[in-house]
This record gives sequence, C-alpha cells and structure tokens, in this order.
Amino acid sequence: MLRSALPGLVTVVLFFVGWEGAVRGFGIREFILPAPSAILNAAIAIWPTLLNHTLSTLTTVMLGFGASVLVSLPLAMIIAASPVISAAIYPVLVITQSIPKVALAPILIIALGANEVPRVIVTFLVAFFPLVVAAVAGLLATPPELIELGRACRAGRFQQMIRIRLPFAVPFVFGGLKVAAALSVVGAVVAEFVGADAGLGYLIQTSMAFFRTPLAFAAVVTLAIMGMVLFVVVGLVERILFPWSSSATPVTPA
Amino acid sequence: MIRLDAVGKVFAGRDGSRVTALEEVSLDVAPGEFVAIVGASGCGKSTLLRLVAGLVPVTTGRVSVAGKMVDEPSAETAMVFQAPTLLPWADVLRNVTFPLRLMGRAGGDTEARARALLATAGLAGFETKLPRELSGGMQQRVAICRALLQQPRVLLMDEPFGALDALTREEMSLELLRIWQETGAAVLFVTHSISEAVLLADRVVVMSPRPGRIADIVEIALPRPRGFEQEGEPAFHAAAQRIRATIYNRAVPHAA
Ligand SMILES: Nc1ncnc2c1ncn2[C@@H]1O[C@H](COP(=O)(O)OP(=O)(O)OP(=O)(O)O)[C@@H](O)[C@H]1O
Ligand SMILES: [Mg+2]
Repeated sequence: MLRSALPGLVTVVLFFVGWEGAVRGFGIREFILPAPSAILNAAIAIWPTLLNHTLSTLTTVMLGFGASVLVSLPLAMIIAASPVISAAIYPVLVITQSIPKVALAPILIIALGANEVPRVIVTFLVAFFPLVVAAVAGLLATPPELIELGRACRAGRFQQMIRIRLPFAVPFVFGGLKVAAALSVVGAVVAEFVGADAGLGYLIQTSMAFFRTPLAFAAVVTLAIMGMVLFVVVGLVERILFPWSSSATPVTPA
Repeated sequence: MIRLDAVGKVFAGRDGSRVTALEEVSLDVAPGEFVAIVGASGCGKSTLLRLVAGLVPVTTGRVSVAGKMVDEPSAETAMVFQAPTLLPWADVLRNVTFPLRLMGRAGGDTEARARALLATAGLAGFETKLPRELSGGMQQRVAICRALLQQPRVLLMDEPFGALDALTREEMSLELLRIWQETGAAVLFVTHSISEAVLLADRVVVMSPRPGRIADIVEIALPRPRGFEQEGEPAFHAAAQRIRATIYNRAVPHAA
C-alpha cells in the first residue's frame, strides 16, 4: 500500500515545490496566485474556522452520499428486475442528469428554504446517478450459468436478486461508490455556492469577495483532501467487508 | 425414476431459424441405475439433461421424475453443470452448502456432511478457499460435492470430469461409483469418453446428431464393483466397439 502510494506522493510534492518556486521566482502577487506556504499560513491562522466549515461541508456530503446509496441500490434492483420498469424509469433518470445542478440549486433553495435540505438534495442528485448505473450494470452482468444454478436450486426472482445478482454486483457497486463519493463533494460545494452560511464552498466565495485568495485556496485544498479520503475509505471498506471483490478493482486513488 | 416419452425439443434462434435439438427421445431410467450418454458435440446431450432438470420446457412429449411430470426444477434432482459454476464470492464450504441453504433445507449436520464430502474429494483443508484460488479440476470437484450434498434421488452430470486431467479423472470416476452405490441415486452421466461410459454405467445411451436422437442403447454386463482391470475384459471391448461403431459409422450399429 505504502510502496504503491510513493510515486503519487513524489508527484504531488514536486508539484507543490514547482508552484512555490514559480510564485517566488516570477514575483506573482498573492491575491492572484498565492504560494503553497502562504496557503498553509492562512490555513493555520484560522484553523478553528476552517475546521468548522469543513465539518459543515462534510455533513452535507455524508448525508447526500448516504441518501444516494440508500436510494440507488433498491432502485437498481428494481430496474434490473424488470425491463418494463427499466424502460419507464431510465428516461426520467437521464432527464434528472441532464439538468445542470447549479441551475437547480437556487430553485430548490427558494422552494425549501436556505437550510441543509436543498444542499443535501443537490448532493444526492449529483452522486446517485453513477451509482445506479454501476449497480444496474453489475446486476445484469451476472453470468447466465449462475442464474441457471439459482433456478436449479428453485430460487425465486427475489432470491435470485438478493442471493446471486446482488453479491455478483458488489465490485461494480464499489466502482460506482468511489465515483459517487468524489462527486458528492462536488455536489455539496455547488449547493454551498448558491445558498449557505457555512461550509467550504461558502468560505471560498466569501474569501474571494475580499481578495483573501490564500484562504480560498486553503478551502480548495481541504476539499481535495476530503474527496481523496472518502475515495480511500470506500476502498478500505470494500477490502475489509468484501475481500474477494477488491483484487478485481485495485484501490489506487486517481 | 426418470421417464422420457417421445421427447422433442426445438430451439428458436435469434434470427427466427429453428434448431431441432432433440427428436423422439424415449428412455426409462430405473431408481439407482447409472446411465451414461455419449454422442458427438451438439447432439443434444446437455439439452436432454436440462429438460430432466426442469430448466427448459419440452417442445413435444413428456418428462417425468419419480412419477411426477417435470415442469420446474425439483428438490429431488441435482445437476453438475458442464462448467464448475461456483459463486466467486463464497468460499468452498459455502459453495457446497449453497443449494441447501437457498432451498431452506440446511440442517445442523449440513456443514459436517459437506466437510466429509470435501475430504473424500481430496479437498480437505480447502474449505475456506475462494474458487479463484483453486485449479479448474478442484473447482469441478467442488461442484460435484455441491450436487452430492443435496442427496438427490436423480443426479444429472454434464461432462463432470471434462476439465480434469486423466489421472484425477480415473480417480474421481471410482470415487463417484463408490458414493453413488451408497446413495442409490439414479444417474444420467454425459461424457465424451467411451471407456469412461463403459466403466461407469449400467447402460450407455448413444446419441446421433442433427436432430439429436437415440441411436443405440448398450447394456454393460460387467459385474460391480467396477475397476480399471475390467478394461481388459472381452465384454468391455465388445461394448466399447459397438458404441464406437454406432458413433462413427451408423450403417453398422449392431456390429457386436
Ligand atoms: N438455448 C439454446 N438456444 C438455441 N439453441 C440451442 C440452445 N441450447 C442448445 N441449442 C442447440 O441445441 C443443439 C444441442 O445442444 P447441446 O448443448 O444439448 O449439445 P451437447 O450434446 O451438449 O454438445 P456438447 O457435447 O458440445 O456439450 C445444438 O445445435 C445447439 O446449438
Ligand atoms: Mg453439452
């Protein structure tokens, strides 16, 4: 794990070193592009505030991500169970995906008030589609021989779904979960841009309004770290709970 | 135990073409009888087994098991598929017990019996391994254990030893005979090997292709328990010759 993470780590360190050198060498002004050291100083100076905003965003992310998991898996099973239902639901899903979430956020906030609910809904809407698609793909990719084995054991349609298709789909579902985890961070920030009084998205907006660019960058870096941590956590959960699955989908953060 | 009455099976292809996989197949298998089926590839052997298993419906004629018409898979019947068909997420032990658990028939002794069966199949110590950690032959042995654990009255085996090397194959055949004699199940056993069919079976059904029909049924009069030393006996050769003649030259089916 450590050994495989090393090349990525070297790349990241080189990137920041190059950045620091460029800012100093060319004398770039701080409100245009702050050096990593300036970003770090800004983050340390206000760390309790930064932590609060981070927790606020994380709450939205987890609620939206959790909701997307709770909705996607049953929905995927229904879609996979019946071609008719699939034909009825899929177009609606695709339509929800074609609506830009940034456009939807202000409408939701006017309808539901400037509270956590519209933010969680936006996060959910961004995260759930890739999860549904991945889960349906997995459920339908179950080899016909395994389905036939289930039939020979007198499994009904429900048992076939729960005991054969669902376990087979686990590696697919985790692929979808990794994408959904990263996207729910995007969704939460989009919602915070539009209507929030806390959160990293809100922090970026207010910082930029006062040209406190280092602070905005600190928030962006925190978001990146949050996305990576979520991705790794999903991978770890897969390894621990479904060890037979993870070797097929190696855990390497993108 | 198994009765096929003028059974025919026609598959409709994707392009609307029709394939007659089986035509006018009639066969009676007594309880505890071991019947082998040989025939060229594509002559409908797997289809015949799937009909008896209740996995596909007949087009014409009727199939019954234990006096009951087959219209869906039955708990009396267990099948060993042409490929091992193991659950990739379950370990060996859970794979073997899967049908009983799925049918709600797993009892307190299920796991102990599964372990004992695995031991007879030379798989002791592999109970917690995943299928992908096993060789192809070991996977197929797990699939055989899975079928035997159901203690079926009808055991359907579709080239169960096809993936095994010649040595394991001979060893497994004798092991199968031993277990079969203990259980007293009626067995339909598809194989490509004529000598395997003669060694194992009470009767060998020889099928001809396009459309799949029964070309000949050969009684094997060798005494049991069977062993490889019998391969040298004249009765063994006569039966094998007659089967071979039917398969390769259908003009002289009764050369023996
Ligand atoms: N589900 C299906 N749909 C259409 N045609 C089928 C289907 N299953 C089998 N067939 C056709 O039925 C015929 C018999 O197939 P079957 O699998 O029973 O042969 P087999 O004797 O088991 O061959 P092998 O020894 O190669 O396993 C073949 O011509 C095959 O193309
Ligand atoms: Mg076959």
